Amino acid sequence: MQVTCFGVKAVSCNRPSSRRRVSSVPSDQPSPPCKELHHQPPLSTMSRGGYPRRVMGPQSALTDYLAAHNISANQIRLDAERRRREAQEQQQNNSQNQANTEASTSSAAPDVTDNPARATRSRRAAAPIAQDEEARKREQRAIEKIKASKKFQKRKRAADSDEDDDIAMALLAASAPLPNQQENCEICAKRFTVTAYSRNGPSGGLLCPECSRDIDKEDAAKQKARRVAAAGRRRQFQSNILDGICAIGPKSLMTLCIETLAKNIDLAEDFGDMPPILIDKVARKLSKLRLLDSRTLSLFLTPTAEEFHVYDGAKLGQDDFIRIFQMVPGLKRLKIRNGIHFKDPVVDYLMTRHIELEDLYLHGANLISESKWIELLQKRGKPLRSLRVYFTDKHFTDAVLAVLPTACPNLTRLKVCHNQQVTGTGVAAIGQIKTLRHLSLDLRKSVHSDIYVDVLSKIGRQLETLCLTRVNETDNTVLDAIHTYCRSLSKLRITESEAMTDAGFVRLFTDWASPGLKYLDLQKCCQIDSAHPRENPDNIGLCSDGFRALMAHSGRKLRNLNIHACRHIRGEVFEEVFSKDKLYEDMEKLEISFIEEVNDYIVGCIFRACPNLKELNVFGCMKVRDVRVPRGKILVGVPNARGMMIEGQSDGEDAV
Amino acid sequence: MAEDTENKYLTLVSNDGFEFVVLAEAALVSPTIKGMLRSPFVEAQTNRCTFPEISGVVLEKVVDYFHYWYRNRDKENVPDMEIPAEMCLELLMAANYFNLEPGPGQAW
Repeated sequence: MQVTCFGVKAVSCNRPSSRRRVSSVPSDQPSPPCKELHHQPPLSTMSRGGYPRRVMGPQSALTDYLAAHNISANQIRLDAERRRREAQEQQQNNSQNQANTEASTSSAAPDVTDNPARATRSRRAAAPIAQDEEARKREQRAIEKIKASKKFQKRKRAADSDEDDDIAMALLAASAPLPNQQENCEICAKRFTVTAYSRNGPSGGLLCPECSRDIDKEDAAKQKARRVAAAGRRRQFQSNILDGICAIGPKSLMTLCIETLAKNIDLAEDFGDMPPILIDKVARKLSKLRLLDSRTLSLFLTPTAEEFHVYDGAKLGQDDFIRIFQMVPGLKRLKIRNGIHFKDPVVDYLMTRHIELEDLYLHGANLISESKWIELLQKRGKPLRSLRVYFTDKHFTDAVLAVLPTACPNLTRLKVCHNQQVTGTGVAAIGQIKTLRHLSLDLRKSVHSDIYVDVLSKIGRQLETLCLTRVNETDNTVLDAIHTYCRSLSKLRITESEAMTDAGFVRLFTDWASPGLKYLDLQKCCQIDSAHPRENPDNIGLCSDGFRALMAHSGRKLRNLNIHACRHIRGEVFEEVFSKDKLYEDMEKLEISFIEEVNDYIVGCIFRACPNLKELNVFGCMKVRDVRVPRGKILVGVPNARGMMIEGQSDGEDAV
Repeated sequence: MAEDTENKYLTLVSNDGFEFVVLAEAALVSPTIKGMLRSPFVEAQTNRCTFPEISGVVLEKVVDYFHYWYRNRDKENVPDMEIPAEMCLELLMAANYFNLEPGPGQAW
């Protein structure tokens, strides 16, 4: 009995509602404006505060004003003190009374009707339990009402908390001061006029306009961050689709570790005895983030390595490249991308060392002069098996290519990309390299078809890779030469030819002695006439018959097929090639963008006929609208905002 | 594999004696563990794999990953697991040991 009574009292005193009402009167704690009034010497009975006595500071305008109107701060404080003392005494009396189980305490209550807060408090303190119960019930009802309100639900969602009662309490408390009343701000404790628009603070009190503005700003920033994060995730998802990554399942632990390591690479001092394959993976990630510089390069230099790949050497200087040759004496395979500072002195240094490179891949090393190239190849060309040169326009010339047949007797792979210097003379020299098995050319100067035919007639027999990128003027004679001379080709690329015709492709793929291509890229081999895009009277480029012939010849072995923009292939040919009785088990990537007649049905047929297909590109195929993509496969470039729709639970299920 | 399906849980033991009891299905994401259990090795009979080169701290994180993988294996847009930077290198070595690398045709 006694215990419950105390409990109830304690609760009612601790409630924010009652505290608020009390605090509006300067009794429990002085609010800052009251501090202004405390310049008067406090009484000796004052135990707290600790203001220096008899010291007069500068008076505020408010104090002056109050003094002028005969309002004494001291008087106010004294009144408050008296009231508090009375309340305390009365509370003590009350508890004593209850201890004696005497209920006649109403007479002990002093006359404090000028203070409503005190009135409730004293009444409650003095009241019998029944009254207390009633008050509690009333409060409970109010809380129930608040809990049912929209505002409460909203707040609960925002707070994401289970403590319903706390929130309801806070709302109940917040509803206490009415508009046009004065209130202390919960955060800065400034006094302000409550309006209907006053905001609640974090613990339920009201906020002044300045503080609510700050809070509003914070909230807006948070919401914006959430929105941006969501948009970022969506964008990342679409970006992954474009990269051909199907974002099902978590990343592998290795990927997670490598990403973390790349983020914290400045903490790493040494990779220890990490296997080279892992070091290479870290190097890739680091280069992607453009973090490879002189300092991080040292991490990758292991003296025992035979292989060194710099995926982004843009931040490396000449000395860094020299350091590679100093630190890795057994280097055999070197790959450098964006190696701008791979200059003549670096090549000179390389030639002084006893390093026998088998594989050299240089990208963007434009500052090596022609004479240095020739010197390097003549001195170090003997062990060289593979030479790949990208974007080294200026000094990688016909003369350099002319050296290759004599200087590099073991060369099997040659790739010259984005080169503005090499002409037909250089290409003709390639025909002398009898050991060549892989040839890739992407030249800016046009080379006549006859030269390609000549080269193919000399080295075509053992060629496994032939890439002729952006060869606008090469014609059917090259296709015929491939048909005649190439017997072991597995990768073929001829792009952007505007002279080859459908008949030429049919001749190439009909009764070709080559066992079948694994990789074929014939993108943009089409007739270019913007005035009459649909008419193609001469059947220029890869058209229906050529496509049928190529699939008949190589379809079963093809892993990667690119017929981007070969737009004169008819829809029924696709249906025929990917019909029910056809199966292309090796096909992994197919690019059929910008072919007008590709539609949902054809895409479905392709998914059925190529069970191991990973990625299908259909950019600009406007008839692809609402196709269901089997799980685990990726359809890139669907022309709607929704992107691709994934269907099914596992790889086993087929598309509709 | 027949007796493995009966035993739902595996015990993984680190070099400093910590033992982790893991859902077998989750641990089989690692081809290394799969190989240990498929063959007629002692691990397959006792359902207990000892890793004398991996410390308890690292193995704990690996076990964390097994379950993270198991929970999220069919989900899209999975949030990344947190990797503490200080144990990144050791964990990378462990990931290599457990063959937890992107599968064929999987870029992650």
